[in-house]
Amino acid sequence: MKTIMNVSVAAVMLAAGVYLYANEIPEKSEHHHKSAVTQSITKQDAASAALYQKECGSCHMAYQPSFLPKRSWDKTMDTLENHFGTDATLDPADHKTIQNVLAKYASNDDRIRDAKGNIALRISETPHFVREHREIPQKMVTQAEVKSFANCTACHTKAQSGSYREREIRIPNYGRWE
Amino acid sequence: MKYLAIVFMFSMSLMGASSEMVGYMNGLEAEAKTQNRSFAGFDAARGKEIFTSTHIGKQGKPIACTSCHTLNLSNPGNNTFTGKVIDPLSVRANPQRLTSTKEVTKWLRRNFMDVYKREGTAQEKGDVLAYILKN
Repeated sequence: MKTIMNVSVAAVMLAAGVYLYANEIPEKSEHHHKSAVTQSITKQDAASAALYQKECGSCHMAYQPSFLPKRSWDKTMDTLENHFGTDATLDPADHKTIQNVLAKYASNDDRIRDAKGNIALRISETPHFVREHREIPQKMVTQAEVKSFANCTACHTKAQSGSYREREIRIPNYGRWE
Repeated sequence: MKYLAIVFMFSMSLMGASSEMVGYMNGLEAEAKTQNRSFAGFDAARGKEIFTSTHIGKQGKPIACTSCHTLNLSNPGNNTFTGKVIDPLSVRANPQRLTSTKEVTKWLRRNFMDVYKREGTAQEKGDVLAYILKN
């Protein structure tokens, strides 16, 4: 009887220890995309990142560069006169600065492509994104408060700082993602 | 003519336009004069028409400046494509507006393209700015 008690107490303590320790483990990289602005980077890069944030963040969230590979960012920057149907052109100096900082902090993962295996333009068409969002009912995304998967901050309350943890999700009109 | 210019500049500064913007609008005025000999100054009423009228835009769908900026320039707007909140355009409501020629030229270029599928003429740009300054 005493042995069983000792073993079960030990088991409970072990479980508690594992649970508490698990919360101390740093974020898995897939749940945390470092914002180029908040990493410790050169002053010049910080200024470039701030420019990206200001310019590209004026219409939608300034997506963290690590979500797409360089070839995707290049393709986006080369077609700004028709950026998903709108004119998003920049003055030449700003254009160059932003393109460079995106390239520098882009992902090196060659598997990031769209569903047809071509250069991805939409983050929402990349394999990892599709996987992570596959269970979400359409109506949660198309509702007016969200509009589309381009609108990360509508649900991911800490997206601006690069955090996409499940516990931070609050879907407008639906609440937490359980 | 010189009198008109002085009155214009004076009224511009009264309306809260920065000196950088005053210079920019003077440049627009000069350009408008070369393009249209009967040009007699920017007109906020013409600007309102440009700003509020609907056209088949870049995406092949009806759109107007008000689609994003709304009819009340003191209110925040919403990017009609992404939903992102846009700060009010009215200088009274948002003193940052119309203070940087870099910003103004950029947005006039882009948004004329979105609604009119072309750049605005100097007169059109000036008229729109006159409309914004009045609201």
